[in-house]
Amino acid sequence: MNERNNTTADGEFVDQAKKLFDESVDRLDGETRSKLNRGRQVALAEIRSGSRRWVQWAPAGGVAVAAVAALVVWMGNPQFDMMDSPEVASDMEILLTEDSLEMLEDLEFYSWIEFDGETIESDESGNNVG
Amino acid sequence: MNAYAASFAVSCKAEDRTGVDTLQREARLNRFFADVEKRALRIAEISIRDRDEALDLVQDAMIKLARKYADRPFEEWTPLFYRILQNRIRDWQRRQMVRNRVMVFFGRGNEDDDYDPIAAAPDTAGRAPDEELQSREAMQSLEVAVSNLPGRQREAFMLRTFEGLDVAGTAGAMGCSEGSVKTHYSRAIHSLRESLGEHWQ
Repeated sequence: MNERNNTTADGEFVDQAKKLFDESVDRLDGETRSKLNRGRQVALAEIRSGSRRWVQWAPAGGVAVAAVAALVVWMGNPQFDMMDSPEVASDMEILLTEDSLEMLEDLEFYSWIEFDGETIESDESGNNVG
Repeated sequence: MNAYAASFAVSCKAEDRTGVDTLQREARLNRFFADVEKRALRIAEISIRDRDEALDLVQDAMIKLARKYADRPFEEWTPLFYRILQNRIRDWQRRQMVRNRVMVFFGRGNEDDDYDPIAAAPDTAGRAPDEELQSREAMQSLEVAVSNLPGRQREAFMLRTFEGLDVAGTAGAMGCSEGSVKTHYSRAIHSLRESLGEHWQ
């Protein structure tokens, strides 16, 4: 019984403390609110600069990945002289250009194009319609 | 977690499934900060008793969350944000202790003892003066009592009562077990009730 009274009193105390705290938050003056808002904008600018940092390093990262991939292929086939093969040299050239990175960023768009193209072809042939 | 935060969490979960770009993430973080920043400021202010310093700590915590943890699920943001803020508060208190020792050594008193909560109190609107005064006085007594609690009890009490985190969220923010949170919280309430007395309201 005594324990239950204590629990109720604790609950009432906590409710009152929360109410007073919320009122003190509502009383915050305009200048403080404005400073908080400015602080928030500074923090949000971090996200923008963070994503720019990623884009800035993306070409270097892409080149590094391509170089590692080339090394793995070459290690797997040491007897194969990569640069003697025009197809591989041409693939490497494509991979190492910056345009290919842009294409990777637009991968979703290209998959949509491919999907749309297939749909149009099947519609035209009439095989998969209905 | 309040009703707004709960409904916001549901909408964010849906967004997580489809993926979000930078702009969406920024908008979500903006809403999160706008929701939490005023309470966070008051919590920091009660801990260190200096509004300008508290503003700096809250801004630092927002920057770190945005820089390091913006990609984490929304449900984790509140405990993460308060964990960062509590660490900042503890660092500030440690630096302040060292600074005070040095000041005492060189014969200069602690200028922060001049802090006057009434002078620092903000403008008010829409309340009867006697109600306002009563509320301020009660909050002032509560702030003094809370700031006199041991550090971990103070953290547990403010995160549970003022921010409304559950036991698991508070444990995440404090970096301790749920059992410890319960113990600190219970001790904090009993200490506060004892120090404030029966007539406090």
